[in-house]
Amino acid sequence: MKRYVLVWLGLLAIVALEVILTIAHLRTGILLAGLLALAGIEAALGLMYFMHLRYERRSFALSLILAVLITVVLMDQFWFDAFRLLRQRLSAP
Amino acid sequence: MAESTLVAREPSPFGVPSRKLGIWMFIVADAATFAAVLFACGYERVANPDWTRPFTFWPTIANGIVMTIVLLSSSLTIVAAVLAAQAGRKTAALRWLGATMLLGLLFATLHLREWIAMIGEGWRPFRNPLGGTPLVGATFFSVTGLHLLHVIVGVVVIGVMALGYRRGRFDHGHLETTGLYWHFVDLVWMFVFPLIYLLNVRQGAG
Repeated sequence: MKRYVLVWLGLLAIVALEVILTIAHLRTGILLAGLLALAGIEAALGLMYFMHLRYERRSFALSLILAVLITVVLMDQFWFDAFRLLRQRLSAP
Repeated sequence: MAESTLVAREPSPFGVPSRKLGIWMFIVADAATFAAVLFACGYERVANPDWTRPFTFWPTIANGIVMTIVLLSSSLTIVAAVLAAQAGRKTAALRWLGATMLLGLLFATLHLREWIAMIGEGWRPFRNPLGGTPLVGATFFSVTGLHLLHVIVGVVVIGVMALGYRRGRFDHGHLETTGLYWHFVDLVWMFVFPLIYLLNVRQGAG
């Protein structure tokens, strides 16, 4: 149980770091990169320890993670259209 | 030889019991669903220059921090429930399951209270009281609503599993499978909180 409590404390610390980054009022792009990186670390901790993926066969863990990662990468094609629309519109009020 | 006998002797893929494999397949599919919804939110934000940031640190982000702590704590309590069940400590397992349900209900209550406050300010899925694109409300209510639905379903499922476990119908394997679902709900919130809440804090807002 001690290991799980440590992971829980680690996750809480990462949340605190996310809030500190937000309060620092960084540029949106930098804040997004920081928050995504921290959320990725949180997700990895949750998957590996709370969801016990660390203790499953490596082939099983890789199959699951790759399936989600490939889906997310394929979704990235939409950004080009979002930026195209941004350039066509008026600026913010 | 009958087909059913052949199926029964087939080794489980990756050495994972079918019940656990089933919930992992569901989690992968659901992760893709949440990824699609969050991508749609990002798309709408980038494509709309009149996107408004609705949140201030107090009360929204403070409330979000409390909700995050509650949900993370519920992941710890369900781990304790599974460990207790694996050790054959039935009463302790049931108590931890009860604690998880209470934390889940607390999360849902805090979330609904926040929704009611926002609706009171004029926010709707089709209306933005700050004057920018109404897509801010649409994405907020759809993403958080989908997650809240998962939390409520999770609380009900944990309740059903706890009852079945107490009566001896379910074993620790069932609790572990339920725990995987609950951890996934927690994992999704780890992306919803920063992307929907923290990235939408008004610049210069205290």
